[in-house]
Amino acid sequence: MKIAKTAATIVVALSAMVCAEALTGRDIVQKVHDRPDGDTRSSELSMTLVNKSGNKRERKITSFAMDVGKDTKQIMFFRYPNDVKGTGFLTVDYDDISKDDDKWLYLPAMKKTRRISGKSSKTDYFMGSDFTYDDVGQRNIDEDTHKLLREEKLDGIDCWVIESVPKKSDEIFSKKIMWIRKDCLIAAKVEYYDKLGKLHRLLKVESVVQVDGFWAIGKMTMENVQANHKTILEFGELKFNIPLDAKTFTVPRLERGL
Amino acid sequence: MSKIWWLVAGAMASIATAQESPFQFNGFVDTYHAIQTEWPHDLTTSRTRLRAELRVDYENAYLFASLNGIHNSILDDRTGVQLQEAYFNYSNSFFEIRAGRQIVVWGVADGLRVTDLISPVDYTEFMSSDYDDMRMAVDGIRIKYPGERVNAEIVYVPVPRYFQMPIGEDNPWRPDLPENVSFDFPEGPEPRFKNGDFGTRVSFFLSNLDFSLSALHTHNQSPVTVAGYDPEKDSIVIHGIHETMTMFGGDMSMPLGEFVLRLEIAEYLDEALAYANNLDYARKNTFNALGGIDWYAGDNWTFMVQYLHKYIADYSDELAAEQNSSQVTFRISKELLNNTLKLALYGMFDIDNLGFYARVSGDYALSDQVTVSLGYDHFGGKRGQLAWYEKNREVWAKAKYYF
Repeated sequence: MKIAKTAATIVVALSAMVCAEALTGRDIVQKVHDRPDGDTRSSELSMTLVNKSGNKRERKITSFAMDVGKDTKQIMFFRYPNDVKGTGFLTVDYDDISKDDDKWLYLPAMKKTRRISGKSSKTDYFMGSDFTYDDVGQRNIDEDTHKLLREEKLDGIDCWVIESVPKKSDEIFSKKIMWIRKDCLIAAKVEYYDKLGKLHRLLKVESVVQVDGFWAIGKMTMENVQANHKTILEFGELKFNIPLDAKTFTVPRLERGL
Repeated sequence: MSKIWWLVAGAMASIATAQESPFQFNGFVDTYHAIQTEWPHDLTTSRTRLRAELRVDYENAYLFASLNGIHNSILDDRTGVQLQEAYFNYSNSFFEIRAGRQIVVWGVADGLRVTDLISPVDYTEFMSSDYDDMRMAVDGIRIKYPGERVNAEIVYVPVPRYFQMPIGEDNPWRPDLPENVSFDFPEGPEPRFKNGDFGTRVSFFLSNLDFSLSALHTHNQSPVTVAGYDPEKDSIVIHGIHETMTMFGGDMSMPLGEFVLRLEIAEYLDEALAYANNLDYARKNTFNALGGIDWYAGDNWTFMVQYLHKYIADYSDELAAEQNSSQVTFRISKELLNNTLKLALYGMFDIDNLGFYARVSGDYALSDQVTVSLGYDHFGGKRGQLAWYEKNREVWAKAKYYF
């Protein structure tokens, strides 16, 4: 009996090693992408923008998201500052790499919803922050080539270190290096390099929380090390598998607001 | 009145500070001043405004009211408190109803009107306000079906409003006319059931295409002018004529990579059109079409260009307008310094009159609450309204505080 248990342990350990050896950079990024996060989710985002003089600006957003097959629908309502209060942003992120995302922007001052390009805005910065629309949305895995560089501990946590290089030349970064936590499949740190190969932005995930059994980021900071500007993003009121239907993610709902 | 106004504003601000309150109180104070760049360097616009907005929520319903308290140091009759919007809104999964004074915006055009004919435009200070500030609310009822891919609505406006035009004698934007000429422009038709505006619009939001179909029974909100004689005053009177007309139209937006194509077309049946002699007018069918391209070029650059064309069927040479007339507008904008600085250039070109208007502006956000803006407006051309305004080439400054 003891021998059988020992043998079973060895088999499990060996298969784990084989699996680990077989994992490619893309496999790991796929695991991160497939990390369970419920079919629906919502959160209250608080974004603090800090410039090099230390002056702060704030953005507050309520966000809802729903998975539809491999695609994701997301609707965001801006609550602060008051000049953008009531602005709504609706996106459909398609898993199909050949298909541009759908995006609509509702501007309450104009009383009008605008269809906007799903392609170019991905590389623009979101609301003046250091996060691009791509960073706050769902970047398709196959838009980059992923390579597992090494495994190492970061702040005492086992991580995979992955290098991702965009396949297209019109991205704002030439490569990014991610430290992926093995315990929860969340990036602990990401370095973004510019076209000249210099470090441009640095993302640090400072808080990871578990809500209703789902791992999620609680707080992270993106710093543009070249401009000396940073954005602190905090997620409050995280909820998963909440009752949302398709009508939550529509232009009429965007115009109706929260 | 002004003391009461400030007390109400203060009380509402106190209420709004409470968390989870059904009351939301917001608004802004802005001040805008423009001066002619050429002699006599008069002020063309000088106003300070308090906008107060109150929303009270109860379950699926809310009340919304928006008031402007304005001090206009050039146009005395514009100083005072004006109700911008005030409506009741109820919505559930199947329909949404909004009743009261509200701004209704249709179509995909940016600053030009093809199917967007319900809420008129206040041109009292020409384009000294942002276009969204120039839109006038109408008293009406709007019922919507908010589907997942389809949105249908019907609108009824019992007492329509017309454009407000710069006709006051103290208005720097008033057209140059001889001394013994006066204006007689109505603000709206007589309040009778048959004079109401009513229409419907059905919109579709698809993966690669948004499009709408619309129909509206309305009036020509911009007046057709006919000259007459007032024997009592012994003067010429320019009457503003507004007749009913019917619009059938549609619009579409289609993203194509970094671009978004926009198209809006409408047939106006029985549109009133002035004769060149200004002594009478005709009713004609006209076809109106707008094509636009937005280019989201990345790095916070945005380019927009629009072309608007009007064709008059059954044309008569006696009409003031050409059988085919057209306008081009464009906008280039760039955001810098983490979106705290926005630089923009807007242009309008009246092809038939060879008239043009260009506005260059810079908006800088000092904080989340305070934005300051500077700009220059250039008018020119051979003839037409934009050429008349050459004297009003101006520099302007604006500050806006949100609360």
